[in-house]
Amino acid sequence: MKHIVIVGLLLFASSCVAVKEYEKVYINAEDMVLSARGVCKADISSHVYREGAAGANGGKMGGGCGCN
Amino acid sequence: MKYAFIILLFFSVFALRAQENESIYTKKVLEKVSVQTLFSYYAQDGQNAAVTGGEGTEELTNAAPTMVVQIPIGENGILSVDAGISAYTSASSSNVNPFDRSASWGDDNDHDDKYEDHDDKSFGSTQALSYVNRNQGASPWVASSGASRSDVLAHFNPSYAHFSEDRNTIYNASLAFSKEYDYQSIGFGMGISKLYNEKNTELGLNLQVYMDEHDPQYPIELRTGFFDSNIRGEGTYTNAFAAFSQTKRNTYALSLNLAQILTNKMQVSFFIDAVMQEGLLSSPLQRVYFADKENFFIDAFQLADNVERLPFYRYKYPVGARMNFYLSDTFILRSYARYYADSWGVQGLTAEIELPIIFGLNWAVFPSFRHYSQTAADYFYPKEMAKSTDEYYTSDYDLSAFNSQQWGVGIRYKDILGQLSLWKVGLKSIELRYIHYNRSNGLSFDQTALGFNFDID
Repeated sequence: MKHIVIVGLLLFASSCVAVKEYEKVYINAEDMVLSARGVCKADISSHVYREGAAGANGGKMGGGCGCN
Repeated sequence: MKYAFIILLFFSVFALRAQENESIYTKKVLEKVSVQTLFSYYAQDGQNAAVTGGEGTEELTNAAPTMVVQIPIGENGILSVDAGISAYTSASSSNVNPFDRSASWGDDNDHDDKYEDHDDKSFGSTQALSYVNRNQGASPWVASSGASRSDVLAHFNPSYAHFSEDRNTIYNASLAFSKEYDYQSIGFGMGISKLYNEKNTELGLNLQVYMDEHDPQYPIELRTGFFDSNIRGEGTYTNAFAAFSQTKRNTYALSLNLAQILTNKMQVSFFIDAVMQEGLLSSPLQRVYFADKENFFIDAFQLADNVERLPFYRYKYPVGARMNFYLSDTFILRSYARYYADSWGVQGLTAEIELPIIFGLNWAVFPSFRHYSQTAADYFYPKEMAKSTDEYYTSDYDLSAFNSQQWGVGIRYKDILGQLSLWKVGLKSIELRYIHYNRSNGLSFDQTALGFNFDID
């Protein structure tokens, strides 16, 4: 985890120059979105039930007892 | 009626805001009504059913159609409605009453057909046992045919997002309702996102609250008045069971998110959540067998010593990151990593990678791999390992130590030129996805999902 944070900080530090709107053609590509794709919603729902660490990042944190 | 009033009040506040500054032309944040439909089918198998105390069939199927509709409200608002159902058939939950061999138990016009109990069926008499087909016999490895083998969860989640004129601030608010036979949930949320640095940096803060209510349904042998003349074992069957006095569960989740564009082909986001849960966090259906108690059986089915008991509070702290890299016009690399820790002793690590491969304007394929590992909760015990003197215990293998691997592949068709449009409905894309999931303790599942995205003029 420490390594991930260090790499993250280095990457942030390297991004001093803002990418202009007209340069965002690749960033704005549909598959570059920084979230799970719509069709993966079903995966997340399954992980919420079958994994002890789920239920804290998306999915159903509250509703559903997931007892079966 | 109460819910209808809350929804009306909630959205009227935002609708009033949406009417401001109508005289100034601004490009809409959403031009057309957008609809996403998703149908998924899930099939699972395993040997560690929690309802039967950690040993028993986990065979389960689930079909879940959902729909998300996004509607533009003025130039600056988007109203979204996410609604759907999830219909499952589960061998383990059918064994809440493993002695039920008659689906007709659901036909007596009372309120509790799903988990039919002794009050309605005179379990204290031998006559009640006529419902059990003795040729089959009760067993944790065999599903019961009673009504509790299936259920439907329905959810309805409306939300509204309001964008500032310069699109650098986004407010959002949401409501959440879900209902299944023995559980209902009401939730609400709100959040704000701010964009800085020519929209290269986004900082978001979200709060969600869920207020849930359980209608506890206990294993049949733990209910008051249970008697069966065919119980086998040394001595007389007794148990340590007492019904839960608390049936509510509240969840409070705070999430902080930071997204950053690093180059014109790479972007990353970090999140950190803090989640608190309080109330009934145990599942009343889940049996526990103690090491220091005699074993009693009816047929091959062992009678419960108790149900799982878990603490009143649980605190969860996940942190994670996503990084996407536009490698070329053909390949994009999507990655995700998360570390999780909670106050029950569970620590989890997730790493996922997906490589979209784009073929021309219309087609794309999405191979993916996901690895997950977790440590066991402090209160997890395999069957007959917990002692009756322990304060907390569960034999739910979702809280055991394991690792899992998931392989997936998806295919997408994008209708760039609108060739498949019909009247005012224009198809945007179709996506089909299949995943196979294997857990180191034997559970596995397969899931297929089919999604359609379209616009309506």
